[in-house]
Amino acid sequence: MGDINLIIAGVGGQGSVLASHLVAMAAIGDGLHARVGETFGAAMRGGSVASHIRLGKEVHSPLISKDGADIILALEPLEGLRNSVRYLREDGLLLANTRAWSPTDVNIGLAKYPDMKTIEKSVKKLGGTGNVRTMNVVMLGALAGTGKLPVSIESLKQVIRENVPKGTEEVNLRAFGLGLRAVQQE
Amino acid sequence: MVEDSPGKRYLLMGNEAIARGAIEAGVKVTASYPGTPASEIMETLALAAPKLGFHAEWSTNEKVAFEVAAGAAITGVRALTAMKNAGLNWVMDMFMTLVYGGVRGGFVIAVADDPNAHYSSNEQDTRFAAFYGEIPCLEPANQQEAKDMTRYAFELSEQLELPVMVRSATRLSHASGDVELGKLQKLDRKPIFDKHWKMAYRWNVYGPPGPVEKHRWLHSRIPIAKKTVEKLPWNKLEIEGKPKLGIIASGLGASYALDVVRMLGLEGKVAFLKIGSPTPIPEQMVGRLLRAVKTVFVVEEGDPLVEFQVKALAKDINPKVKIVGKLTGALPPVGEINVDIVGKTLAKLAGVKLGEDKARELAKAEVSKLVSSRSSTLCAGCQHLGSYWALKQALRKFGGQVPIVNGDIGCYEQGGYGIFAKAIKPSLSTESVRYPIESPYETLDTNYIMGGGVGLMQGEFHAGYKDGAIVAIAGDSTFFHACIPAVINAVYNGAKGVFLVMDNSWTAMTGHQPDPGTGMRATGEPAKQLLIEDIARACGVEFIKVVDPFDLKSTQVALEEALNHEGFAIVIARRACTLQVQRQKKFVGKRIVVNPEKCTSCKICVSFGCPAITFRDKKGGIDPILCNGCGMCVQVCPTEALSIGE
Repeated sequence: MGDINLIIAGVGGQGSVLASHLVAMAAIGDGLHARVGETFGAAMRGGSVASHIRLGKEVHSPLISKDGADIILALEPLEGLRNSVRYLREDGLLLANTRAWSPTDVNIGLAKYPDMKTIEKSVKKLGGTGNVRTMNVVMLGALAGTGKLPVSIESLKQVIRENVPKGTEEVNLRAFGLGLRAVQQE
Repeated sequence: MVEDSPGKRYLLMGNEAIARGAIEAGVKVTASYPGTPASEIMETLALAAPKLGFHAEWSTNEKVAFEVAAGAAITGVRALTAMKNAGLNWVMDMFMTLVYGGVRGGFVIAVADDPNAHYSSNEQDTRFAAFYGEIPCLEPANQQEAKDMTRYAFELSEQLELPVMVRSATRLSHASGDVELGKLQKLDRKPIFDKHWKMAYRWNVYGPPGPVEKHRWLHSRIPIAKKTVEKLPWNKLEIEGKPKLGIIASGLGASYALDVVRMLGLEGKVAFLKIGSPTPIPEQMVGRLLRAVKTVFVVEEGDPLVEFQVKALAKDINPKVKIVGKLTGALPPVGEINVDIVGKTLAKLAGVKLGEDKARELAKAEVSKLVSSRSSTLCAGCQHLGSYWALKQALRKFGGQVPIVNGDIGCYEQGGYGIFAKAIKPSLSTESVRYPIESPYETLDTNYIMGGGVGLMQGEFHAGYKDGAIVAIAGDSTFFHACIPAVINAVYNGAKGVFLVMDNSWTAMTGHQPDPGTGMRATGEPAKQLLIEDIARACGVEFIKVVDPFDLKSTQVALEEALNHEGFAIVIARRACTLQVQRQKKFVGKRIVVNPEKCTSCKICVSFGCPAITFRDKKGGIDPILCNGCGMCVQVCPTEALSIGE
């Protein structure tokens, strides 16, 4: 298989397809071969969507094989778990956003939506690492990084520390730092 | 796409690559009808057409598109038509007859199949249509080949004076890969016409010497095609040493097989014949492989077209060779293949042991129980939700005991997708059975193909069905595509029923292509806008009502009147697609305010089926990020727990 197999999963309308194309274009620019395969339902909006990205010196199939994904980036947590069961490598990493997009099946009471802790634990059961964190905080960091907010970075950090769920302070601050540095480095 | 920079590498989707191949070949006329997974071929061509000066159109249906392109090829210019698998079924009449006289300019038929029926009503393998019509079919394994083969298909078409099919599939059309561009050819051919070109009455199948002689001419092309495919770069045989096992892999099947050979460490240990022309197959190469090995594994996506031909050849060349594939159950005969499926079979044939972690498989089974299904839904604020709601209410009053709602192809077909998490037990009743409609997704009772519903409805009526009302639903693009003859038939033969046309002014499901009701062509230039009520009137329909589906009450009243009408009735629920309107920023929705104290947990709002409506802690609610502020849910809530805010 290729050197790296990545899945960007989410719900139709979240932009996973565009994101995956950006990654592949960058790889082609670096002289690698790339394949991006997509799996999605018929809905324009709201259906399960997963982009399979395969980068390497020799890649053929557009889809990653079972248990073949090095990393799964999930824009929606349930979709992260759905793809982890099928595709995550035993030592793979699931990075998931916390923003849940509840399926109709759950809304009408025919199914349950697992909580974020259950998702992380389940990925651990599969042998991988699950990291569910809020992407909004990454974006907030990026916003702060523009330097255009009339608020100091320290006070933003303070607010995050005090307002995120207990036990997730460090993860959220790291997420904030990620977004912050991404913009500052530009 | 219009860049003339040979050697440059880009990430292209399979469909974009097919379009680029046609552009590089100097195509003059292109025509298509939208259909997933083929739509992006024309979308790409339509963007390039105004810049390069060729013709690109969304035709009213695939048959018309095929004829538009064929007509151009008869005048000696290069032409392409593109469609999805089912689209080719519309084309078959012209397809099977055009081949008797062939073409003068290169004519390429690009068809995207859909194994596993991700976006289609069936899994048909259209390579068989090329076999049936006795024309060559090229089958790319990746995006680079999709571009190169399409470009070459025009040359092959001109060499043989026959149409050539390029067969794609979902995993190629809707996947992307790196593609090195080639040079743009500028042909500037003058269209010419000669009715006796190389054959009397060349373009008139009935003109003497008539169809049988023209069929004989078609057969005279086959040996030339067979000779040509032996030299194609996409048909390639590799045998090192004396392997026992050989693989014959066509198109996408080759891309899976190549990955698997590498994964299992079998490089150089198995003979490999990669096939790019599944009909005609390169018989000489197949023969060399059949003589060299003891077992041949045929890998192809779809039905066993290559496998049949290989078996037929083996009978004379090496009857002892064992041939395995879809015919022997080595690969599943339905659904799509992938690296896992091909890998399992190849490992077995090559004697490679695959490790299996039983504990992990158990953990997976346990975790998968936590993963809720995600039913397909219409978009938040979709006008079809209003039409479905109004229809449900009207049928409750005047639909009789067991109404039949015949569906059709378009976004609204999700009205028949059901709720994935709901288990349905098959019924053995000998009487009509009424089932509750708990969400709009349980409305449609029949659904097959474009334009099929309004025809089925008439048969149900003439059968004398009396247990309930008979309704058919179709969208605007479908109406123009396939419904008009059926509407005329209903009037002519006196069928009674309600035909609800959900007109959102776009071919929305396939990605918002314009149709004759949009007022715009494929290239974005303005066009005459046709109104469905005008056409219905011209067809002789007497009951025609046009309503706004956001206005639930009026839509319901119109449908009730239609149900009580004595003859064939058409209700047109017209409102432009919500997504399209948002893109054009023509509509700014209002904020919907929820008052949980007034909510009685009746779940009527949930049954409306809008994905922006939530139900948590036993209270209805609105997801403010998804909500488009259409206000339909406010009309649905019986206790005023939902209201329109600022």
